Amino acid sequence: MVARSVRAVAVAFIVGLASLGTSTLAQVQFPTSLPADVLFNATTLQRIDLRLNSLDWEKLKQNFQTNDFYPADLVFNGETTYNVGIRSRGLGSRSATKPGIRVDINRYTDDQKFLGMSALVLDNLTQDPSTIHETIAMKLFAKIGVPAPREVHVRLYVNNQYAGLYVAVEEINKQFLARVYGSIGEDIQNDGGLFEFNYTDIWKFSYLGSDLDPYKTRFSRKTEENKPDQDSFGPIETIVRLANDLPAAQYLSVLGERLDFPAFMKYVAAQNYVAENDGFLGYAGMNNFYLYRLENTLKHQFIAWDEDNAFAFPDFSVTNRHDENVLMTKAMQVQELRDAYYNGLKAAMNAATEPTGSDQLAWLESEIRRQTDLVNDAIRDDPNKPYTFDEFQNARVAMLIFSQQRPGFVSQGLSAAGYSTSRVRP
Amino acid sequence: MRVCTRFAVLTLGALLTVPTGAVAQAVSDQSKKDASEQDQKQSASEEAKKQDRRRNGFRWRNRPTFQFGDVRLDIRFKTQLDWRVFDPDIDEGLFDLRQMRGGLNAEIGNHFEMQAEHDLWGGGEICGEARDKCVGGGSWRDLFVRWRTYRQAEVTVGRFKVPFGREELISFSDVDFAYRSLVSTTIPPARDKGVMVNGRFLRRGLTYEVGVFDDDGDNGRLTEPQFAVGGDPEDVGPSFAARVTATPLRPLSERLETFRVGFAYGLADIPEGLNSLRGQSVYGTNDFFEPVYVNGQRQRMGLEATYTPGPFGLAAEWMQAREERTGQGLGDVDLSDFITTGWYASATWLVTGEDKEDFNNPRNPIFEGGIGAVEVAARYEKLQFESEDKTGPAFRNPRAQHVLPNSDRVWTFGVNWFLDRWVRLTINGIREEFEDLRRLPVAGITDYWSGVARLQIVF
Repeated sequence: MVARSVRAVAVAFIVGLASLGTSTLAQVQFPTSLPADVLFNATTLQRIDLRLNSLDWEKLKQNFQTNDFYPADLVFNGETTYNVGIRSRGLGSRSATKPGIRVDINRYTDDQKFLGMSALVLDNLTQDPSTIHETIAMKLFAKIGVPAPREVHVRLYVNNQYAGLYVAVEEINKQFLARVYGSIGEDIQNDGGLFEFNYTDIWKFSYLGSDLDPYKTRFSRKTEENKPDQDSFGPIETIVRLANDLPAAQYLSVLGERLDFPAFMKYVAAQNYVAENDGFLGYAGMNNFYLYRLENTLKHQFIAWDEDNAFAFPDFSVTNRHDENVLMTKAMQVQELRDAYYNGLKAAMNAATEPTGSDQLAWLESEIRRQTDLVNDAIRDDPNKPYTFDEFQNARVAMLIFSQQRPGFVSQGLSAAGYSTSRVRP
Repeated sequence: MRVCTRFAVLTLGALLTVPTGAVAQAVSDQSKKDASEQDQKQSASEEAKKQDRRRNGFRWRNRPTFQFGDVRLDIRFKTQLDWRVFDPDIDEGLFDLRQMRGGLNAEIGNHFEMQAEHDLWGGGEICGEARDKCVGGGSWRDLFVRWRTYRQAEVTVGRFKVPFGREELISFSDVDFAYRSLVSTTIPPARDKGVMVNGRFLRRGLTYEVGVFDDDGDNGRLTEPQFAVGGDPEDVGPSFAARVTATPLRPLSERLETFRVGFAYGLADIPEGLNSLRGQSVYGTNDFFEPVYVNGQRQRMGLEATYTPGPFGLAAEWMQAREERTGQGLGDVDLSDFITTGWYASATWLVTGEDKEDFNNPRNPIFEGGIGAVEVAARYEKLQFESEDKTGPAFRNPRAQHVLPNSDRVWTFGVNWFLDRWVRLTINGIREEFEDLRRLPVAGITDYWSGVARLQIVF
């Protein structure tokens, strides 16, 4: 057991070094402050105003299933960003009474930015009575180094009418990539290939054939628009093919050239800790993520997206659906990757249970209390929420219970798998 | 309510024509005298018509004609077949049966004229897709009755061209180029149902047309989905249009007799919505300016000038449409007017020497041993969309106070070969250049050449 622990630590050290190595050697620099920091200041309940033609607002709500854009002025902190484009967004969360909104800052002009961003998502929170699933999950992910968008609660006003409590979400785009992947010298590391996963059917990483069309259907290209399909989607086809064809023993040496395994295992582990039921190992196949091919490499990383369905229940198995997904099944047969997964799980647990504040509450519980207190009045007054205030309060209690019970359950899972549960820094 | 308003306006328009007719009746003797004195050629023509009326039955008078006493019936046919090239390839069809129309013209003595013209083919690529001017396959073009007892005050009722825009009012088969200018296909209303009074004085030295119409013509009709909160969306119209032309330099010199200037004005109600005029490329297949939100009135103004000394033809038109945008801004504020401006200037030369004025028949038709008539032509034009307010940054947003302009500048060079009265071959080289890189008909291509070769048969 001791030898195994020593080996696990050694592997974790090596994997950690490997994942950091490139960055360290290449002297990646990250921005110390960004204009959008003022918006994503999660200690404040922000206010965003949209000013648009009343006919357009009615039209957007009536045609909420379409992606038609409407012009609007966006006001934040007394500053107006003029003539942005807004449209209804979402899949299951689309709503006629409380539309989810995508804000395209330079829809009608060139190079306009809002706090340095070219787009912003306003999540309508229609599928999450607690209103904090996503904000908490993303914050936890960021704490342990999983690429995730920044989020903050906002009171949204449309033409001076309170439209409800929303979450402003940083869009996964080049500005996000620049923030997360930094720059080497003058070269901002955001010129790689970014893809949004489009849910089409139950897919669990089985090989879809050599034709690129099934991959183009599932992966929506967000950068490299002018690249030939073969250069853009070919590497994805290769990863899926290798994941299916290679024996587990060659995963690290061959597939590891194309997939950042340490980052991938940590990402899946983080999703497991927060009991995300509709993520990479979702109940209906893979869902809700971005895939990024790092600049000038063939290596890909997963980026978290849409964690509305997190915090399903505290006893969410630590190996939930590992045996259903081709990539995950084989990866877990490789000891180093198995170690990386459980270390990721432990890192998430440690971050969630880290004592915080004057009362030394576990970070997750503290954050749940802080955020629900912050939005309490806003959700009570929300005229368009599809649930009651009581349901919000019940969901808050469920979240608190989750935060208290989850560490114990995960610890049991770690122990059962032969991993130490002692605290390590995330 | 809307229907009632429209009915009232049309009724008023019709009523207005009655006093006009009554006034015309009052001056009828003088008018008849003036008419006969003013135009000897016309009298000769009238005499020829009388001669014809005495010969009942079928005959070929430049087209199939039936004569039954005072009633004459002409059968009309027009077709245009295009072969097109594009450089670079902009994914357009190379062959296009652009027009095929059949019609009947009926005259009852000197008092009434009726015209019916219908599309025989509306499924051509251009007509069938984006070209709004093709109202859809198999539609009526003209369907009207004209009372023309008095040249000073003729009355037309039915569906016909709204009096606005010199080139728009010319039959498509008589335009000097393969395509009308962009401004002529965008700003004038084109055809509509309505009532019009028109007349001429001083041997056509002064002409006028004034009418009221149900909608705002085929060019002004609503093309975007309409939306209203509670109740049905409103329709466009009614509209009013008037046009006056004159030959102001005729008294100075006979050589300046064909110099004609004109002014036109139009007014229409437009309902709230994405209902402004739109900018389409020469071929009408792509938008370079999509409609913006408007609400209020659409005003049109047009100036025109033509001069046809001998075999030469010079023509120019300037037109502008101003559309109100009441309550169309963000936060429902009023926006400055949306302005569509266009102009063209063209020159033609009948190399074979025929007179350009009223030219319709080569001196030496090809089937009578001649070479037909050959004409060279060139035109430069521009159509631009913008807002009146130009303060602050400009946006492409259809509700922007300062709308980012876009324009299409077009050069057209052409040759027309009139084989005889009925058959014409036209070859045009066209260069289009667009202003806004993000609103191009074809992504990434700001300017391109295209060519059209057209066979036209008209009788």
